[in-house]
Amino acid sequence: MLRFVLRRVASGVVLVAVLSTVTFFLLYFSSGNIARRILGQQATEATVQQKQHELGLDRPLPAQFGDWLSHALRGDLGDSWFTGQKVVEAITSRLSVTLTLVIGATLITAVVGVVLGIIAATRGGAVDRGVQVLSVLGFAIPGFLVALGLVSLFAINTHVFKPTGYVAFGDSPTEWLSSITLPVVALAIASIAGVAAQIRGSVIDALRQDYVRTLRSRGLSETRVVYKHVLRNAAGPALSVLAVQFVGLLGGAVIVEQIFAIPGLGQVILGATSQGDVPLVMGLVIATAVIVVVLNLAVDLLQGWLNPKVRVGS
Amino acid sequence: MLKKRTTTLAGVVAALALALAACGGGSDGGGGDAGAGAGTLTLGAVFPPATYAAANAEWANVSPYMQAVYDTLLHATPDAKIEPWLATSWSYNADKTVLTMKLRTDVTFTDGTPFTADVAAQNLTRFAAGTSPNKSFLTSMKGAKAVDPATLQITLNQPDPSLLNYLTQNAGLQESPKAFTAPDVKTKPVGSGPYILDTAKTVVGSKYTYTKNPNYWAKEQQHYANLVINVYGNISTQVNALKGGQVSGLSLFDNSANDQLKASGLQLVPHELDWHGLILFDREGKMSPALGNVKVRQAINYAIDRDAMLKAVAKGNGTITGQLFPKSSPGFDAALDNAYPYDPAKAKQLLSEAGFGSGLTINMPIILISGTTVYDLIKQYLGDVGITVNYTQVPLNDAIAAVLAPKFPMAWFQLQQDPTAWQIANFTMTKNATFNPFKVDDPKIAAFAKTIQSGSDAEAATAAKDLNRYVVEQAWFAPWYRVSLNFAADKKTNVVQQTDNAYPYLWNITPKG
Repeated sequence: MLRFVLRRVASGVVLVAVLSTVTFFLLYFSSGNIARRILGQQATEATVQQKQHELGLDRPLPAQFGDWLSHALRGDLGDSWFTGQKVVEAITSRLSVTLTLVIGATLITAVVGVVLGIIAATRGGAVDRGVQVLSVLGFAIPGFLVALGLVSLFAINTHVFKPTGYVAFGDSPTEWLSSITLPVVALAIASIAGVAAQIRGSVIDALRQDYVRTLRSRGLSETRVVYKHVLRNAAGPALSVLAVQFVGLLGGAVIVEQIFAIPGLGQVILGATSQGDVPLVMGLVIATAVIVVVLNLAVDLLQGWLNPKVRVGS
Repeated sequence: MLKKRTTTLAGVVAALALALAACGGGSDGGGGDAGAGAGTLTLGAVFPPATYAAANAEWANVSPYMQAVYDTLLHATPDAKIEPWLATSWSYNADKTVLTMKLRTDVTFTDGTPFTADVAAQNLTRFAAGTSPNKSFLTSMKGAKAVDPATLQITLNQPDPSLLNYLTQNAGLQESPKAFTAPDVKTKPVGSGPYILDTAKTVVGSKYTYTKNPNYWAKEQQHYANLVINVYGNISTQVNALKGGQVSGLSLFDNSANDQLKASGLQLVPHELDWHGLILFDREGKMSPALGNVKVRQAINYAIDRDAMLKAVAKGNGTITGQLFPKSSPGFDAALDNAYPYDPAKAKQLLSEAGFGSGLTINMPIILISGTTVYDLIKQYLGDVGITVNYTQVPLNDAIAAVLAPKFPMAWFQLQQDPTAWQIANFTMTKNATFNPFKVDDPKIAAFAKTIQSGSDAEAATAAKDLNRYVVEQAWFAPWYRVSLNFAADKKTNVVQQTDNAYPYLWNITPKG
């Protein structure tokens, strides 16, 4: 088990290294004149040149990368070129906010997806078709439309939740809940479809198995058969789908954070990338890669716990 | 039995939803309440400040962040007249190359350092050597020094009629000398201003929280006890925040939501800062020989229906204009607004007089600031008089660099209408002006600029009008209209716009009643 984890961590490090290099060079080739963009149209050409020199943009590309790398290995990811904030600080202060949204959305996806999938599988008929239609709708409607609709209905017309902004849990638990509910729901709606469909399929398959007939014949209630035994077998594939959804939710968080003005990673990532804020984008790419590697490792270990047959290590 | 379990589960979910709804917080009462010096003002801005270091500070849309924590040497009234602030009085010498300013002696920074003439001199020198986008504001400054602790002397290498204006903006910001070398000065400002940044409650790039400066020397300008400035990156979020009562005022990205905001009971305070139109850069015909001929440039002016452009592109939000000078400028001449009425026949005639009766082709960039309508219309109007436009897409982020390279002989653009003629001349018309990328050197323009710089007030005003008329006659530009944008505010807040800035000045945002 330990060897498995260590091997995974090692390959994770390689992944982050490759990603950083590729991102760095991609950023430069697509960024155009970053110094001019930082200073805007009022600045004279001389000021632009001075800024370029200050940021080291007039040096050869490999030299700039080497410089960034030597600092990064020491834990110094530099300062954002557009806000002056330390990149490490920017990411750590925003990471918890984005993770709150994404983990919340994943939990809701898991619960609602499982419940819908099981209802569809066990009831069948019209209910099954209804759930499938709802799932496809949730999947097809663009996330930002859902978000805007939710704000209009629940935050503005009826003042139930906050239309924008984020309140930390430490400041006020009720305000925190009021500020994250709509964003989390907006994020979750699209991914529920995937999980519900997966669970439905797995549960239908499992219900056909002989052991289910045996359990029923031994007098177990239908609820126990489904939720205790069948679900455990159907959970494996669903967990994999959920893991993929989590990564997708990280991307969906970009849009949701923009619309709700939530100070997470997603709020800065679009602007930073299109403006060419190299230190910040590099930091964000590394943070995202680390999250994905850790998540995949956790999912694999969890799969092992759920289903001993696929347990890793000895 | 499964049915029962499912029903129970559904019941639990419903109860949870109700519970969530019950403790939903609704609006956080983000407006300003109560009287002077009390309550919280929540504002919205479109960008966060790139840096809080005064030497590298920007202005325009980030002016409220700066004005919250810093004082400037001078203040400007809403119509850009100069008023005393940290500097109580000032005078030039005879040839306007030495400016002597008397300063207040009762101002202290929040870290206890006193404000003196020496501090002011250091701030000016640092700004001139820094990386602010407006660093060129102080190009004419040769040096700054303290004659005595309350007297500042600025020596210039040439007269600068706009210097006093610049000292009301980022060039005049005063930062505590102890912060000059602080490692975190980019995000932790130390000033003498009405508010102090609360770094614990601030999320850099998203939300900036300030509390009242208890030792502020101008308490009558502290209208609130707390200030919050949130960054809203797009119009939908701005509208939601306004309608949800979470913000008292913000400068709207565009005019698309005006009707729904008015219907929600918000006030819209309009402002005309920028002009939209064509800049005909290549006046000497280096890239496009045709543009070197004044008749061709005049033809382009006649060829475009400005009223139609205003309706189609800006949805009627603005005022037709034919000049770069704003109404408040002494160079403004109302007659020039009709120098080139819409007349395609006249345009065709001028073109054939210039020898291009059989048509010509011009290259232009497409920069998607607000859709493609304007480019389709330009192509259509110019096509009607025989000018074929070849477009090249330029990504928004590279637009300015591409235009100033220069990569194109002409472009559709929007520029600020600066309050002083000197600024307009040096930004768009003189040989080394930023927006004269082909470096066209017109001796008449240079002469007018010289008078604006060194002449008496009356001579400068006349020269400004002459410069304006000359540039319009020579059709260096084809301005269409001044576009109107709005600052949206709730009913509890009073806002007065600033003529020469994109955002109202902080002290002009006050609680109503």
